[in-house]
Amino acid sequence: MNEAPPLTPTLLRRAWFLARLSRAWDHRFESMARAGSIGRWYSAVGNECTTVGTALCLAPGDALSTVHRDLGAILATYLDIPRLAPEVFAPEERTAWDLRRPPPQELLHRLACQVLGRREGFTRGVDRSFHYGLLNDAWGIRHVGMISHLGAMLPVAAGLALASVQRSSGSVVLAFIGEGATSQGDFHEALNMAGVLKLPLVVVIENNRFAFTTPLEEQYACERLSSRAEGYGVAGETLDGTDLTAVVTAMERACTRARGGHGATLLECMLPRMRGHAEGDGSYELIPAEERARFLTMDPLPPLEALVKTSGAAEEPWLQRASELATTLVEAAVERALAAPEPEVREARRSMYAPGEVREASNRQASEAPR
Amino acid sequence: MSATTYLDALRRAMLEEMDRDPAVCVLGQDIAAFGGAFRATRGLYERFGRLRVVNTPLCESGALGAALGAALAGMRPVVELQFADFISCGFNQVVNNLAKTYYRWEAPVPVVLRLPYGGGVGAGPFHSQSPEAWFAHTPGLCVVAPATPRDALGMLKASIRDPNPVVFLEHRFLYRREKEELPDGEELLTPLGRARVARPGDHVTALSWGWTLHECVAAAEELARDGVSVEVIDLRTLVPLDEDAVFSAVRRTGKVLVVHEATATAGFGAELVARIADHCFEDLDGPLRRVTYPDRASPYAKSLEQSLLPGRARIAQELRRLARY
Repeated sequence: MNEAPPLTPTLLRRAWFLARLSRAWDHRFESMARAGSIGRWYSAVGNECTTVGTALCLAPGDALSTVHRDLGAILATYLDIPRLAPEVFAPEERTAWDLRRPPPQELLHRLACQVLGRREGFTRGVDRSFHYGLLNDAWGIRHVGMISHLGAMLPVAAGLALASVQRSSGSVVLAFIGEGATSQGDFHEALNMAGVLKLPLVVVIENNRFAFTTPLEEQYACERLSSRAEGYGVAGETLDGTDLTAVVTAMERACTRARGGHGATLLECMLPRMRGHAEGDGSYELIPAEERARFLTMDPLPPLEALVKTSGAAEEPWLQRASELATTLVEAAVERALAAPEPEVREARRSMYAPGEVREASNRQASEAPR
Repeated sequence: MSATTYLDALRRAMLEEMDRDPAVCVLGQDIAAFGGAFRATRGLYERFGRLRVVNTPLCESGALGAALGAALAGMRPVVELQFADFISCGFNQVVNNLAKTYYRWEAPVPVVLRLPYGGGVGAGPFHSQSPEAWFAHTPGLCVVAPATPRDALGMLKASIRDPNPVVFLEHRFLYRREKEELPDGEELLTPLGRARVARPGDHVTALSWGWTLHECVAAAEELARDGVSVEVIDLRTLVPLDEDAVFSAVRRTGKVLVVHEATATAGFGAELVARIADHCFEDLDGPLRRVTYPDRASPYAKSLEQSLLPGRARIAQELRRLARY
């Protein structure tokens, strides 16, 4: 754990750029939330090293299950970064997975439309922000979003991992969950199944110390949530989720374990609560002032930047240019999405059933017609 | 031809579909070597192995959620609930995850939930319920309830092939009591969403499914001796409902009795009479009547349970009353 091999320069540059993209995205949507132009924004500020670091360990065809604050993992899974930012990445930095990925600007646009409830979003307006799924085998992207019932996606992630075993696909499932949802029954059921069935599942607890406003001591009575791993017969560890090297090292270990048929891992990533539950919902102000100040000093981006520099992966001018580019790309995607059309009204009435006998029968029903 | 029980038919359906499609797998408690609490999966484990006949811990929510995940990754899971009553422990996965994924993501969710349901054997409040209305109220689920071995076979096969989540209600009182000669080596598929005329008749229409369907047929036979001709329709699929079959039957006889084993208030019968009132009001020659379980839990002592079950005597009484209009 302490003898982690150094991360490659190309991984460091990509991680840093993804973290900047995620942060720029949050800043843009936070300001819209403050201005009241969007309903709700759940900021991922502070989570970037955990989300980006774990997702960068995935391979094409691995599955990703996200909740509120996992934009970094989504961007890391979706985006052909050298193609998105040719000004600061060399073509040689494109990976084999990048070559399968779709044009990155299009995905950013669809993501922005999704968050804003526009026609070109992944759900074309029928579900909100990160509640969508994107399953595209050709792209190697298998992403399942959340439902509002926190914890409920963990059994689904276990099922994705079960299918990996059943189909001998060798794929791993990375599932995020907040520490608040670890109190749910589904957390227990999914981890227990993962242990018994030795599923290739990595569960990452993003422990930002508050479930909405409920502090840790009112959530659970154990020292560390990773200690629950022993009870499920899976591997577990608690780590500093703002330390990219620690995150990548732990995730690589978990993936090796999963791909080797040795089962699941529970990673508890300790994170600073740098924002409220949702922007402007009053929950941030409930955190004691000295705690808030301490959390702000735990921002993962400055140490990441230092790591990039000291490792020689990039120098100040590159960082400057890349940072500006990240902001520009986000700005362009959001502006384009804001100008994009509203959903078509007929989407509201689209079928609840996939094509087949049941759909045909349900279409035959006279009652379906509006009266 | 072989004499096939309702339970044999279920096993045959799973066996044939698992032979046909390697993506079909079964999940549940005690279903592997033991063959399940009712032995519906007997022999499947030996034939298909532990990756396709998966014993789960006691975790309804976990197993139902896992079925969704496996389906999204290309499997076609059949989840056996030990008793339909226990699905309440996984309710959220059914009504929010399984039911709404297609609408939200347009990703097919080919998952079948096998629910041994119903009373009649003195099993008490938590092993006797008929929960179809909980699921019929949730768009995105298909709800089926075969009454015969042929339909148990044909509808389970059709459910496994359907790209949508199907709540498959198997009446466990019928498991070993219903027996039918079924041809071997022939593909018997019953399309979902189609009702069946269980007994033709002209004066009154009885609509039912599951165990009460057989009670309706028995009552109809009794009335036939008095010259009252009762048509019995086996709905088989509640969602999507075969409205054409229901409405045309009602239009022909003008009198309809809805019979179900589930409790009365907001039961599926209420939906049926509402739709009939909407579409067939001018064709009706009598009141829309229901015979159901009263709004009570299911008592344990057989004599108590029998006093509440909507059996042939009550059905016959209501049919006679309707016929007089």
